[in-house]
Amino acid sequence: MNENDSQPRTAAPLALHVAGASFAYAQTPALEDVAFDLRAGEAVALIGPNGSGKSTLLKGVLGLIHRTAGTVEVLGESPAPAGAVGYVPQADELDPEFPVTLEQVVMMGRYRSLGWLRLPGKRDRAHVAAALEAVGLSERARTRFGELSGGQQQRGLLARALASGPRLLLLDEPFNGLDQENRNALVDTVKRLKADGVAVLISTHDLELARDVCESVLLLNGGQVAFGPLDEVLSLENVQRTFRSVGVELDEHTVVVPSHTGH
Amino acid sequence: MDYFSTALIAATVIGALCGLVGSLVVLRRRTFFAQALTHATFPGAVAAAMLGLSIPLGAFVASIAIVGIMTVIGRVRRQGSQVASGIVLTAGFALGVLLQALNPSLPVHVDSFLVGSILTTTGSDIGLAGGVLVVAVLVIVFFGKELLFSTFDASGYRAAGYREWPMELLTLGLITATVVTAMPAVGAILAIALIAAPAAAARLLARTTGQILVAAPVLGATAGISGVLLSRALDVAAGPAIALTAAAFFLLALAVRQIRSRAGSSRTAALPTRPASGRAAARASLGWES
Repeated sequence: MNENDSQPRTAAPLALHVAGASFAYAQTPALEDVAFDLRAGEAVALIGPNGSGKSTLLKGVLGLIHRTAGTVEVLGESPAPAGAVGYVPQADELDPEFPVTLEQVVMMGRYRSLGWLRLPGKRDRAHVAAALEAVGLSERARTRFGELSGGQQQRGLLARALASGPRLLLLDEPFNGLDQENRNALVDTVKRLKADGVAVLISTHDLELARDVCESVLLLNGGQVAFGPLDEVLSLENVQRTFRSVGVELDEHTVVVPSHTGH
Repeated sequence: MDYFSTALIAATVIGALCGLVGSLVVLRRRTFFAQALTHATFPGAVAAAMLGLSIPLGAFVASIAIVGIMTVIGRVRRQGSQVASGIVLTAGFALGVLLQALNPSLPVHVDSFLVGSILTTTGSDIGLAGGVLVVAVLVIVFFGKELLFSTFDASGYRAAGYREWPMELLTLGLITATVVTAMPAVGAILAIALIAAPAAAARLLARTTGQILVAAPVLGATAGISGVLLSRALDVAAGPAIALTAAAFFLLALAVRQIRSRAGSSRTAALPTRPASGRAAARASLGWES
């Protein structure tokens, strides 16, 4: 099992290598000097307040925004090899009225490997069915995407990423607004993926989640505050520096941050 | 073939083309862009008439120039494509009117560029529109999945390793070709009605993009044919009759959707309350409880 800490960390190959990386929107610097590694079968939690650069880092790894300095390598390659990275955006960025079924959305995950001018075949449909099964939404395949609950849409987007067979999975605040059932389903899926050797990078406000599925934590606040094994990095002092607040309370499960409006 | 049959064929082909490409316009939220384009092709057509060149060619060259200008303005920070469309829409239209005013002795009726004259469409007009329709169908058949993905989730599409510009360029090219070929029949101003209304109507009622791509061309062609028939029966101009029929389809679709959603919501909202409290209250007020 990958969650066993006694296993040497160097056993798994590097899925993501980030060194001295800075990112910018147009001319405005958004995130400076980030360095961390993520190995196959492991998960890193990105933690920081709103606007700290969590989404920026995910978009930077995807190559969606401009990298002004440093290195980002996926499976030792830069730019990332085609189809190696799966991305799960926040579902609320999508048009809920768009006439597309859940099944069609998940099939989008197959398009890249399918290539141009070709229509999905039996094999692609099997991948889609397996991905829907993995997130527990097989019965909703024909439902219009916008009619699903927020949590189901989030799981649907995860299924789309799974259908592409990624080696590195990026999740942007996947647990926002999820009820317990959807949350548990998502945690189980992420654990299974890790067991299959997929590397996972999750941006979240939720420390309980980080403890449940992540080996390491990257604290961000416009730059890198700390990176390392979960128990070492999540000290009161580090969390206070990340959230720039003296009112932080750190207990077994959550960070309570007064005046912080995030989820 | 008499002019009326030709008009009916032109209305069918152009209506279907506008409906099909209109689906892309509506789903990709490019209605304002298409609107600006329709108005901006007007000066190109007037200039072509002045120079004695092919009118669709003039409109096409003007469209290419305009797409270029809009792209540049759209890149100016904090302007965006809506502002670009707004500027181009009014400037293009003003330029056309100005050119027209400077040349009062033009050999063709410039009015027909604005509201169209489907009764004078030629075989080559229909051939051009038919050609664009075939290309549009092929594009949707062969690039349907990429169009769907990039339209539904642009950032997910880029994250999957695609570039956005090929699909955007393909869509803009189809919109431009449609506007140019529809102009002789329904005019620069009215073309947008035939592009936006049938597709928007289909969008209101359809559950899948596939349904929209079938329903919108059918509605567009129906609007075209109805408009031509109405224009003969009522002795009114065909262009406005087509545009008004298309608008009526949209209003009809809106009404159907309202009725549908009202039926849906009253079913879910009223069920738990009505049998218990409603009847009890009625009985109480009639004194049956005592």
